[in-house]
Amino acid sequence: MIRFRSIITRIVALHVVAIGITSILMPLALYWLLNQAANNLHRDTLRSEAFTFSTFLRPQPDGQLSLEIPQEVRALYTSDYGLYAYSVLDAAGHVLFSSRADGKALFTEDDHSPGGDWFTRRISTGSTMFGVSVDRPIGQHRYVIQVGQDLAHRDVIIDDVVTSFLPRVAWITFPILLLLLLIDILIFRGALDPVREASKTAASIGPSRTEVRLPEQSMPTEIIPLVHAVNQALDRLEAGYRAQRDFTADMAHELRTPLAIVRARVDSLEPGALRDALRADLVNMTRTVNQVLDIAELEAFIVQTDAKADLHEVCSDAVGLMAPLAVEMSKTIALTGDSGPIWVHGQPEALFRAVRNLIENAIRHTPAGTSIEVEASKDGVVRVLDDGPGVPEDDRQTIFRRFWRRDRAKAESRGLGLAIVARVAEAHSGSVAVENRPDGGAVFTLKLRPA
Amino acid sequence: MRVLLVEDNQELVSLLVKGLAQSGLSADSVGTVGDALHVLSTMKYAAVVLDLGLPDDDGLALLRDMRRKGDATPVLVLTARDGVTDRVTGLREGADDYLPKPFAMEELVARLQALLRRPGNLLGRLLTFGNVSLDTEGRQVFVAGTPRAFPARETAVLEILLRRGGNVAPKRLFEDQLFGLSGDIGSNAVEVYVHRLRKMLSDAGATVKIHTVRGVGYLMAEEKEEKAG
Repeated sequence: MIRFRSIITRIVALHVVAIGITSILMPLALYWLLNQAANNLHRDTLRSEAFTFSTFLRPQPDGQLSLEIPQEVRALYTSDYGLYAYSVLDAAGHVLFSSRADGKALFTEDDHSPGGDWFTRRISTGSTMFGVSVDRPIGQHRYVIQVGQDLAHRDVIIDDVVTSFLPRVAWITFPILLLLLLIDILIFRGALDPVREASKTAASIGPSRTEVRLPEQSMPTEIIPLVHAVNQALDRLEAGYRAQRDFTADMAHELRTPLAIVRARVDSLEPGALRDALRADLVNMTRTVNQVLDIAELEAFIVQTDAKADLHEVCSDAVGLMAPLAVEMSKTIALTGDSGPIWVHGQPEALFRAVRNLIENAIRHTPAGTSIEVEASKDGVVRVLDDGPGVPEDDRQTIFRRFWRRDRAKAESRGLGLAIVARVAEAHSGSVAVENRPDGGAVFTLKLRPA
Repeated sequence: MRVLLVEDNQELVSLLVKGLAQSGLSADSVGTVGDALHVLSTMKYAAVVLDLGLPDDDGLALLRDMRRKGDATPVLVLTARDGVTDRVTGLREGADDYLPKPFAMEELVARLQALLRRPGNLLGRLLTFGNVSLDTEGRQVFVAGTPRAFPARETAVLEILLRRGGNVAPKRLFEDQLFGLSGDIGSNAVEVYVHRLRKMLSDAGATVKIHTVRGVGYLMAEEKEEKAG
């Protein structure tokens, strides 16, 4: 079974099939009806001719019958012109008169048309003799008068009308049906216009624009249930997105407020080793909570199609933010590459977090005294290069997984930082990868799409 | 000098009020946007510390309302919602600063003092980092309590660094403040003054060091004490 993707195509295809069938059946039906009508007409003509002919028959006193065809119509019955053929039979079936050369009856019972009251017979010239037989009383006896016509005769035109119908007239139905098809296509296209408009509207709906609904008023009645169902699905989708956003916001509040209380309480303690240790624990815990919240938010995060970010500014902010930590850990950090705005498709805050996490990863996994370089280039690529131990080949994929750690026994977790980078890259249709530098150290490459 | 604390968590409020008091800042507190609007209509505060997650309304609504009424009181926004899309929103709505929860008490105090140090405020004439101080009115530098005579431009560089605390000061900031619109600056002019200041500080025995963040700017950090080994 062929499936058509387009309604118009389906309509056209089915219409063509319908036209094909109609343009064969309709002329045939017309031909049959026309043939019937012509046949009836022909029979009536011949029957009245037979009555006329019966007036030429005169009963003789001896009981015999004489045939006297008047001079003025005799030509019609002669074999020269031969518009009509005739034979007259008595009740016993003996031929009394016949226009045939052999003197036989014009038709026998074998020539009787099945289901009709006329006769047809093939004649020696190859054409068809068509005729009727009429039972008439003349004198005291009844006689059968048969009258026929050779359909090939030049003055018998009634069958010519029928035979010329198919080649001359029937073909006109085909262009008419084609015209009908064309009109139908135009009607359907017009009827589907609101659907096309709705499709355009629907195409603009995205996770960042969930409030858009399809217009229901202008829709054809048949399409309204579908449009209505789509709108209801959008309602549910929007509610789902809102629930997800609300959940992340609530979760952030529920986790960070107690942390803020603990932090404030710890800050109010007397200075000492315990306070410092608690602060350090809180900083670590806060970092993990922040990363978990980032991951949760990024799960439902979609970059708006028209979002633009200056990658140079993003990198500059991230380097600036992380520089104090780098200095504290006895590392130098620098921003290199192309200066000036580098416009990429992206959400600045998300990209900022990605670059920040790459820098933080570099700071935390390199020994003191090394340097970190953040290189932003015009083609929308950020490279974070370090002088650390590098990343073993086997870990270069898994390092971007959540809570990945090289050795489960050691507490050396990279946590969620790089997973966040990977998710941000994915949300921006970009990529992130890590390689080792020829002279040692790792280089993380975050590729984004230039705006 | 009073600040208004708009925060609904009573435990956090009492800890913050206590912490601010230790830094010489007295604070009143309200727990809803409605109460805050009421209090702000009758009292003038030096600054507002505003939590965004309040029970009756979004804290940003209060901020918008204040700004619409022409109230220019500095607002420090506190929020637990430090999401990918939240930070930008908060600042665009007219907040003067933004501090995500949880935060260190010192950080809150430092940020508040930075807001209060604005023109018209007397607080914070003295900027201090490590053992280096600067009297911003008298343009006098002190290292370990001893007055030092630093040239004007080196002092200006120091002021920028001190105002940023331990954070990076972008190079552009130095260029704008040192040379203003007076045209053409040699590409390494800032570097020259920073280099001189570095030497002066180290000669004077300062415990702070100026670090270059190439491509971004400079930052000041306390020199690490040698670990006892």
